[in-house]
Amino acid sequence: MDGEIPLPPPRRIRHRSPATANPSATGLAVSSFQRAQRLSRFDDRSSQPSSDPALFSSDDIPASGLENYHATVSGAGRKRRYRGTWWGEQVLDPKRKRADFKDKRNVDSGVWMGSDESGAESLLPSEDGSTWGEDLRKSVLDPRKPGSSAPFLTEMENVAQTRAFRSAGESDAHRFAREVVGDCLDKGLESIDLGDFHLRTIPSGLLPPLQHLTKLPSVKEAPVSENVFTSLQPFLRIYLPNNSLSALHNDLFELSNLKVLSLRNNKLAEIPSTIRRLTALEVLNLSVNQLTYLPWEILKLMQHGELKHLTVRPNPFLPIEEAQIAEWHCKPNDKKEPENDEDSTPSFQSQEESSLNEGWAPLHVATGPITYMDMEGNPMGDSPSRNRPTPTPSGPTSPVNDAPSLREVALRAVSKLPYLEHTTDEELAEYPALLVPLLQQAREVRAAGGQPCSVCQREYVIPRTEWMEWWDFTPCENGMKMPRCPGEKLRPLPFRRFGCSFSCVPGSC
Amino acid sequence: MAPSTDSEFVTIVSNDGFEFIIPRSAACVSETFRLMLSSTNFPEGRTGRCVLEDYSGVVVEKICEYFCYNEKHKDQVNVPDMDIPPELCLELLMAADFLNT
Repeated sequence: MDGEIPLPPPRRIRHRSPATANPSATGLAVSSFQRAQRLSRFDDRSSQPSSDPALFSSDDIPASGLENYHATVSGAGRKRRYRGTWWGEQVLDPKRKRADFKDKRNVDSGVWMGSDESGAESLLPSEDGSTWGEDLRKSVLDPRKPGSSAPFLTEMENVAQTRAFRSAGESDAHRFAREVVGDCLDKGLESIDLGDFHLRTIPSGLLPPLQHLTKLPSVKEAPVSENVFTSLQPFLRIYLPNNSLSALHNDLFELSNLKVLSLRNNKLAEIPSTIRRLTALEVLNLSVNQLTYLPWEILKLMQHGELKHLTVRPNPFLPIEEAQIAEWHCKPNDKKEPENDEDSTPSFQSQEESSLNEGWAPLHVATGPITYMDMEGNPMGDSPSRNRPTPTPSGPTSPVNDAPSLREVALRAVSKLPYLEHTTDEELAEYPALLVPLLQQAREVRAAGGQPCSVCQREYVIPRTEWMEWWDFTPCENGMKMPRCPGEKLRPLPFRRFGCSFSCVPGSC
Repeated sequence: MAPSTDSEFVTIVSNDGFEFIIPRSAACVSETFRLMLSSTNFPEGRTGRCVLEDYSGVVVEKICEYFCYNEKHKDQVNVPDMDIPPELCLELLMAADFLNT
């Protein structure tokens, strides 16, 4: 499909400010001035809209210059080329001829050419690959046609895999989504727009073929300029705004060359830590979801990865004023003062004007209390809720040590079993009941491609410690347009972090 | 027989008769063993001999290996992974639940 149509304007969404949701509880700490700020439509200081930017032909897509007018634009879409006379007479769509021809063509000629078997045709830029596939499908699946032989069927299987054909009994939304993705694969379009599809889930098998998406070379006419020698490596963009996604499929995180991902206006309550696998990600939009915290791995993508533009507001994030903080790294001045003794200016400010990088990098503001968990991953101590602090690191009783438990050691071995991901819930149910949840957990970890501890980087299955960290990443929210000014008000957001043993706690890394 | 609570070693026995003699402190990595061995009300506490009726010698050997592994790496930060053969991991999971470790 053509990506040149800008994304539709967002529906009117009532901004759910945490202050409105819970006006009385914040009380003391928040000044009325701050509250007024938080109630505003854009709580972004830069008042950047959270929606995805529109694409214009004049944008800095390399191939869009005037000198390259006739070449296919490698960006979001093709240039709209004017066809017709100068006095405004429009030429009929030249593609019509082909379609007419196709209508007349006998679809199943009964002749099977050897060259067809190689699937060479599918590599060509067919005008509308989906209908081609449909024709084939009809002719193959029609039982009255005896001509369909074994090679035909095997090829159909390949085609079905790569093109993500619909299967019977699928919802309309899934079917449309598959058509869109199939179309993008056919035409080599690197911008996949699945917005407003009412998707509740991402259908399985929809996204993996995109890993192998290749742009089509733009050589069309004889005079080959140097501009056509561009990389066929796609700048893969997936737009999933305005759907009803409540969970993300692991398939999405397999797309290691994904550059832009928009999940705006969905029903996501949590972003899995598997997002760390999207190492090429440059733009991520998570606004208008139900996130109360972000995975710590996103921070890693900003620090060490390519992530330059992260849009997360508005979301019902846990406000730092209401959260329990164990340690301030960047002091807030209107609170109980830990160890700093500088002048008290209002609210959070970044006071270190040290290195050049300082203004750009995410800034660690505070760390929440640690929740310790027992060998089964349940919070231990007298406070079961994760928002309340467990007393002290010496709190855990009984033989506590930093070595992994036998359960954990065995689960790590389980998660490396070769056949684990193919076991179904029914097969798991044959095992003793107490093993089933553990095995399911190991299977999830396996499906997510492992789960390294955020402190020591070792793979683990059952987390033993958990805490929140507040980080400010204003430059990333601005799309790296300007650094953080010294003395500027910080707007930290919570990141949830896990450790694999009692020694993997803040400050130990 | 004299109570063996002062003995430095305990014996873990598998259901096919293999006996593994390990330090008491290592066995006490398991909460279950610790309770068994610390009380004189249990025969295990008196004799210092624990029989694991459900597990064969191969599994019990691995369990005892884990006890020593755990004891050795108690206070270390970067603990190397212990090697678990895939055919044993399910039984070890069961044992971990029983031994509460």
